[in-house]
Amino acid sequence: MRRRFWVVALIAAFALIAAACGGTGTTTTQATTTTAAPTTTAGPGTTAAPTTTAATGPKTIIIGTTDTIASLDPADAYATRDWELIKNTGEGLMKWAPGSGDKLIPGLATAPPTVSDDGLTYTVTLKDGIKFGDGTDLTAQVFADSMNRVLTIGPDCPNGVADALVTPYLASVEATDASTIVFHLSQPVAYFPQLLATGPYIPADPNIFPADQCDLFPPAPIYGVGPWIITQYTQQEQVVLEPNPYYNGDYKPQVDQIIVRFYSDPQTMALALQNGEIDIAWRFLGTELIQQLESVPDVTVGAINGGAIRYLIINHTMAPFDDDNVRKAVASLIDRDQMADTVFGGQVTPLYSQVPPGFLGANEAFDTAYQAPNMAAAQQYLTDAGYSESNHLQLDLYYPPEHYGASTADWMAVLQQQLEASGMIDVTLNAVEWSTYVTALTGGEAYSAGVLGWFFDYPDPSNYLEPFVYNGGEGTNVTKPAEGNAFGVGIDDKSQQLTDLLGQAATETDQTKRADLYGQAQDLYADLVVTLPLFFEPEHVVYASYIHGDSMYDSPDTLNIGPTIEFNYSTLTTDK
Amino acid sequence: MGSFRAHPRTTLPFTMSPLSLIFLIIGVPAFVGLAYIFVRGSTGLRRYILTRIALTLPMVFILASLVFFVLRVIPGDPVSSALGPKGSPETVARLREQLGLNDPLILQYARFLGSVVTLDFGNSLTGAHRPIVDEMSERFPATLELVIPAAILSLVLGIFGGAFAASRRKRTTDYSLRLYSVIIYSLPIFWLGLMLQLLFGVKLGWLPIAGRIDAIAGTTLHHITNIYSVDALLTGNWTALRSVLEHLVLPTLTLGLILSGVFVRLTRINVIETLQQDYIAAARARGIRERVVIYNHALKNAMIPVITLIGLQVAILLAGAVLTETVFSWPGMGRYLVERISSRDYTAVQSVITMFALFVALISLAVDIIYSLVDPRVRY
Repeated sequence: MRRRFWVVALIAAFALIAAACGGTGTTTTQATTTTAAPTTTAGPGTTAAPTTTAATGPKTIIIGTTDTIASLDPADAYATRDWELIKNTGEGLMKWAPGSGDKLIPGLATAPPTVSDDGLTYTVTLKDGIKFGDGTDLTAQVFADSMNRVLTIGPDCPNGVADALVTPYLASVEATDASTIVFHLSQPVAYFPQLLATGPYIPADPNIFPADQCDLFPPAPIYGVGPWIITQYTQQEQVVLEPNPYYNGDYKPQVDQIIVRFYSDPQTMALALQNGEIDIAWRFLGTELIQQLESVPDVTVGAINGGAIRYLIINHTMAPFDDDNVRKAVASLIDRDQMADTVFGGQVTPLYSQVPPGFLGANEAFDTAYQAPNMAAAQQYLTDAGYSESNHLQLDLYYPPEHYGASTADWMAVLQQQLEASGMIDVTLNAVEWSTYVTALTGGEAYSAGVLGWFFDYPDPSNYLEPFVYNGGEGTNVTKPAEGNAFGVGIDDKSQQLTDLLGQAATETDQTKRADLYGQAQDLYADLVVTLPLFFEPEHVVYASYIHGDSMYDSPDTLNIGPTIEFNYSTLTTDK
Repeated sequence: MGSFRAHPRTTLPFTMSPLSLIFLIIGVPAFVGLAYIFVRGSTGLRRYILTRIALTLPMVFILASLVFFVLRVIPGDPVSSALGPKGSPETVARLREQLGLNDPLILQYARFLGSVVTLDFGNSLTGAHRPIVDEMSERFPATLELVIPAAILSLVLGIFGGAFAASRRKRTTDYSLRLYSVIIYSLPIFWLGLMLQLLFGVKLGWLPIAGRIDAIAGTTLHHITNIYSVDALLTGNWTALRSVLEHLVLPTLTLGLILSGVFVRLTRINVIETLQQDYIAAARARGIRERVVIYNHALKNAMIPVITLIGLQVAILLAGAVLTETVFSWPGMGRYLVERISSRDYTAVQSVITMFALFVALISLAVDIIYSLVDPRVRY
């Protein structure tokens, strides 16, 4: 009986195995893809691997990150790390020079675009001989098809934001010959050349990304026209990039392999760097970890003055901030230097305009207008608003306790102390979970004031001002949406004046005049206290001493990551 | 430089999904064992097994339902969380509609129950928006690869440590092991993990700190089951195998040591009680060596309550895996769960917890059946 049972059991087990083996499908095709890269003909300009490389193994640089990847489809991707990979595997018609914050140079284009007199038509000529990593030629028609793909399917892609850099601006794209691309804009946009350097304008390989649907994670290898190819991608673990044999641009890879490793925790990533498991830690290490790593031998910390800003959204239609004097009183009381020193040990920089320093036309409008901290002026504003030492202004300030790091609660407490030092204000701090918070704050109906952070999509003052003014302005309510008006209507004369000024600056093609217009706009913005800029945070890249950034570019000390926060892997070298 | 390098690949004679392979590795032997017990066992045992299986289903159903409703009660939603301040109201509304978040709650609940029954959990609501079954088939093997050696380590340390302490009762070894069990059980997992990382990783440089495999070795590994040690063995990739085993040491130690404390205490007390039984005195009187008395006679009988505890500890093991995976950047179900909770990815969180519940229920079922075999008095 016993023997018979085992015979039956074994037959059943083999039958199950046979049934399972019979299937051809695998659930790992998308993410755990270890597809071998093509070994066929090398592209033009490639050389055989040096003998030394073959003997000692490929030169590899490993980059650690706590970022995650949400999409690799240019029509859908929006997060910083998504764009980093897309821009290393691809290239736009225009691009930012490595390490710089203001050098917009031609990428796939032979020269900067020419613009028609009415500012509605931009014409670009493609360089010759550009190919995707699988050998497909990039013609003007392929590029136009890629842009039309974003226009068509972008709005329905799952992450739902990337197309916002295309659809509001672009009416249509066409290829007039094999190398000429013509962009027809729906309105004049002075910063359109900068938009051409953003993620959605990177051409997608038609053999990888289907024309009629988004494909967030096509199976590797994933090709673009840039210097690298994604040869492997394992979810939550790592992405492997290797040189594109068909790439003949300016940024030829200087190592054989780049591996991006994903970490769930900054502390673990910092330890992995010290243990030699990664060569570079790039985003995000908090202030405390950066301070610790600064004292570790053979490790270099590079600080990049990027454009990540923190500010208070002020709701202009909700009491008590619907009173001009209250807004000005609060603006007069904030001591940004104290906040930067006591909470961040000087690792953040006080911000006196919504537009950070270094951007076109940036000024220090809030410092000029309020010279904060100015207790006497603040008390006068509060008195004018009807408050006194016996009749305190009650302020509710909101913040998300985790989203911008654990230090948020600390600097909010400093802010509370500074405001209450007036003797005429009582502040209540309210911590709210992020997803609830952001909807309520930017909806403009729930909170009178709250903390928000911002990082630009393209480095231009318009991207720091327009979102907080147009169409409700992320909860500032200085304008309200209006039928037939793309930007909304100001709630009073000054708000309307600011809206008009921003509209004028956005279409002005003369950069000097444009800088002047944005200067005026910032002054008016500070006068209205549309938002209350507080500080901007540098980004940090930490790397082992044997890693170098190519010194022919602007910022080798930060591995040529400039204020645009773009990391070009091709500028990296290693002594290891 | 500039050349294009192909990765070494090992071709297997068959292809299948990692989940299918795991089913074969674990499920088939379990199924065969259960069938054997069912066929060979008494009527009472068969009834007991059927009753336990019948009780397991409502337990999973209740837990899955609780998770569904609790997720919708807590603040926040996946769309706002993902889009942040850059999502226009129109985009938020469109995505909510696309993801079915505007549907009546009862309809969402019915859809969820249907997905549980068919084990097709749909797509994740945030991030990559991939099929959750795909995401789990990549991460569940990682969790298995962590919890199985950790469970073995905790059992070996706990049971033999407890028996050893009992055999040295009221001596220094006994006091030391009792102290160990209390201290180790009260340590926070993340703290122990961090200390081990600092000591064996940063200070001594002996072991890797994070991940399942070295970055470069990882590029050469062919993924078959997604249990990397098994994949490395199947493909004969010894470099990868060594790297996988090295990466397993610290997380396994962290999780295994923490869980061993309770087994030390329970085994010790049960062995001490058993050693006071008459049959032990008789064994000793027959001149049987003390080691044989303790490990062959006393330990066997002291194991009955320990087996019960093993079933209960599976849930704690998985909870511990969540923390361990986070500390060691281990790409398993626990880390996935933490990420998805913070982004309010309802479907992913529901699915992972349901899978955890199923796993715990099946292990508890197996433990109960083993218990009923060891102690024939147990019947429903």
